Amino acid sequence: MTASRSFPPPGPSGTVLPRRQLLRSAGVFAAAATLPGLLATGTPAQAAAAGFFRHGVASGDPYPHSVLLWTRLTPADSAMPGSGAGADSRVRWEVSRNADFTGLVGQGWAETGAWRDHTVKVVAAGLEPATTYWYRFRFGQEYSSVGRTRTAPAAGAAVDRLRMGVVSCANYQAGYFAAYRHLADRGDLDLVLHLGDYLYEYAPGEYQARDVVVRAQDPAVEMTTLAHYRRRHAQYKSDPDLQALHAAAPFVVTWDDHESANDAWSGGAQNHTEPAEGTWQERSGFAQQAYAEWMPVRYEPGGQLYRRLEFGSLASLSMLDLRSYRSQQADSQLAPAIDDPDRTITGAEQMDWLLAGLSNDAPQWKLVGNPVMITPVRFPSTLNTQEMHALSELLGDRNIDGVPYNVDQWDGYVADRNQVLRHLRDNAVTDTVFLTGDIHSGWACDLPVDPLTYPLNGRSAATELVCTSVTSDNLDDILRVPERTASLTVESGIRTLNPHVKYLDFDSHGFSVLEVTPAEVRMDWYRLADRTDPASATSRTASWTVAAGTQKVRPASGGILS
Amino acid sequence: MSGAQTSGRTGRRSFLKLAAASGAAVVLSAAPGAGWAAPGRNGGAGSGDLPKPKVYVLVVDGCRPDEITAALTPNLAAMRDGGANFPAARSLPIMETIPNHVMMMTGLRPDRTGVPANSVYDRAEGAVRRLDRPSDLRAVTLLERLNAAGFTTGTVLSKEYLYGIFGDRATYRWEPAPIVPVSGHAPDASTVDALIGMVDSADPDLVFTNLGDVDRMGHSDLTGTTLQAARTAALASTDLQVGRFIRHLKARGTWENSVVMVLADHSMDWSLPTNVISIDNQLWLHPELRRNVQIAQNGGADLLYWTGDAAAREESVARLAAVVAAHPGVLSVHPPAELRLGPEAGDLAVYCRAGWRFSDPYILSNPIPGNHGHPATEPIPFFIGGGSPSVLAGVSSEPARTVDVAPTVAALFGLDVPEGGYDGTPRTGALALA
Repeated sequence: MTASRSFPPPGPSGTVLPRRQLLRSAGVFAAAATLPGLLATGTPAQAAAAGFFRHGVASGDPYPHSVLLWTRLTPADSAMPGSGAGADSRVRWEVSRNADFTGLVGQGWAETGAWRDHTVKVVAAGLEPATTYWYRFRFGQEYSSVGRTRTAPAAGAAVDRLRMGVVSCANYQAGYFAAYRHLADRGDLDLVLHLGDYLYEYAPGEYQARDVVVRAQDPAVEMTTLAHYRRRHAQYKSDPDLQALHAAAPFVVTWDDHESANDAWSGGAQNHTEPAEGTWQERSGFAQQAYAEWMPVRYEPGGQLYRRLEFGSLASLSMLDLRSYRSQQADSQLAPAIDDPDRTITGAEQMDWLLAGLSNDAPQWKLVGNPVMITPVRFPSTLNTQEMHALSELLGDRNIDGVPYNVDQWDGYVADRNQVLRHLRDNAVTDTVFLTGDIHSGWACDLPVDPLTYPLNGRSAATELVCTSVTSDNLDDILRVPERTASLTVESGIRTLNPHVKYLDFDSHGFSVLEVTPAEVRMDWYRLADRTDPASATSRTASWTVAAGTQKVRPASGGILS
Repeated sequence: MSGAQTSGRTGRRSFLKLAAASGAAVVLSAAPGAGWAAPGRNGGAGSGDLPKPKVYVLVVDGCRPDEITAALTPNLAAMRDGGANFPAARSLPIMETIPNHVMMMTGLRPDRTGVPANSVYDRAEGAVRRLDRPSDLRAVTLLERLNAAGFTTGTVLSKEYLYGIFGDRATYRWEPAPIVPVSGHAPDASTVDALIGMVDSADPDLVFTNLGDVDRMGHSDLTGTTLQAARTAALASTDLQVGRFIRHLKARGTWENSVVMVLADHSMDWSLPTNVISIDNQLWLHPELRRNVQIAQNGGADLLYWTGDAAAREESVARLAAVVAAHPGVLSVHPPAELRLGPEAGDLAVYCRAGWRFSDPYILSNPIPGNHGHPATEPIPFFIGGGSPSVLAGVSSEPARTVDVAPTVAALFGLDVPEGGYDGTPRTGALALA
């Protein structure tokens, strides 16, 4: 957030969003807007312009008896994000079963200061499982906006349904976060799964909507220092649609590469230049510190981001960190390194932890929050130069060597993928579903036990559902053609060459809704009419389902009702 | 079922011979004192409450859960989709036919029944043998407990060794016939003839049925790794037989009082000809082990028995475990107690990986591609259907297991929990109990 930018941003008609609409967006529902308690709290947009709470509220990592609450205090105008200025302060937090905060079930004080960029993270404990709560913060006499959150069901409890929003790849410069607003407006989500690229490191002009910088990022440089990362996080958290979604449901997040820099690995990144941008250790440390401060996640710098949440006997959700421990990407798929057993995408400890969670003693559905695709994808050699080039840009420049191949995905770490597949197959682990982002496109895939015999026997070890980008460029953008034109050829070529890829949409931007029941896991994909329009409408483009025990995706009809 | 009945009496048991649809005669035997054509104790007699249902446990031997589809097995699929389904269901160690049928009918794990596998090394007899004798099963079964409570029971088991171990525990029994050479089982058409004959002539409160075709075609199907041609044909044909049984219950007007529990005892995995493990072969380099180790082969699992000096046992078994675990096709090695297998399982239980099989003592001893016994063959179908209002439709995340059958059926009949409790869990969430 910069002094030069006015906030709140224009609404659909170029005016400031009306207070009532924002409240509804915040998941507090229209009826609640008349409650005196809420009227006193102010709205995200109002709070952002001035006051102590300019970056909204958020919750995350719901456990059966606790949830993490987040906000950012601006104790004085000088205490801007990344400034290092501002006095140490105490913030009051409150949790209630009611939207009007009559009767608190949890309250306390949290200390913050410039040492943590005045962000506030507290764990509200002693809560009831599978229960909706409202929370807010107070500094002096001023309250923050109100957030809604929901605890996970009790361990082992029968659960009829779990519903979540699934999102990734939200580039501020490429458009507005209407996808977040549509999810917030649903009012029926148990949580929001964010699979990474929550923010981007680029300077204005480096990466946007085709050629258009819809909204310039702050600061106006590629983020490399702690102050940069903090300011960029603050700018994203100033977006009213993102604030609305955070206030509507708890997030469960992991990072991909752009939270630090493009194509990050344990020792560097494609978009990191030493020594001009400092050492990678130093830079990734800044990225991780800002992430820990600004995200509603049970993670502290130097700690471990990969973690598992459980939702009764219905589902577990293993969130992976595929950047901190990975070996450097291979130059191409022709490099012998591709299947070198000494190269890893997870690291040995995370692999052991992942496989232990993919167990038949675990809850029924083994959901894996997986930042990059695990399904093997071969790219057709029949593409023309322009299509090849576009795919190469979508997947990363270095990944082309005659035949496009994404060495930044699990495809570049064959030994690790084989270990996962072998574990699933040897132990007949059922109902494992990888939920993935990163690639700015929608996919529904079987994960073949053996790609060679799959066309004959269709045997699949797991499934993968990939959500598209909130705003980040995809194939039609790179090809500079209208949606659903030139991409169709590429999609059909990929599906032909990879019969386990059942659904592929290279063009749409938007979000997914995932519903988990004992009978099935089902994903609906929604596309935005125009990502550069903050008031963009949305429509459902596809629905696919995985029936329990099948390890296969198949098309579904109708949408998940809100 | 058609044709006249002739009943006779030999010794203390009575026999009933029926003419069956398949043309072959069906011969049923009954326990002393049990009559024919007599309704079960609760066969509709009204005290105001719902009558106790008739319960049919149908084991589709070796069926994988993903093989039940509307296209291939419409009758089974319809029953699953209209009933209570447990998609997370699994078989229990060792994933073989005899131990899992015993678990179904006792509700107890092998360390309490004495039946851990199909084949064990019998230390007393000094030989590897099949556990197919009535005396091998040490626990009291649900069949006997129901009989003692005044209910009647029946067994219609297609495999000779199942008929062997359950013996005359049920009130009414069918000895499988005609038997297919080599496979040692009766075709499903004959088995369902017998099931229908038993229902019509004796109408037991519980009938425990094993349909063997799907398993037998899984073992022998040489196209198992790819096309599974014979297996697929068997699935379709078995489904027709299940459909025939359902139609028969509907025709005789008892469907509305029937609970049909369908499950498998284990599933099936197909190995490549090159993926064969011979532990005996591995031990050639360790003659002191080889001399003193006996191997009971169970498809995808081997049980190993130390037969040498007892004082050297601990150290030798540890060495044996290390040698065996080094094989690339071996998934894991377990002390039998870890899998609740009991002393009959010997000193080590060894699992192979998916796509592998054991073949002992020689590489060619086990030529069949389809095998089970290892963890890859744990997932099973497990659902409860039938016309009875006791059956609630729905899908459950609960981890149903073969050992849950006895406690679930017992709950339907209001039977007390046996001494020492069950190892299984009654899946009563699927049932509306009185």
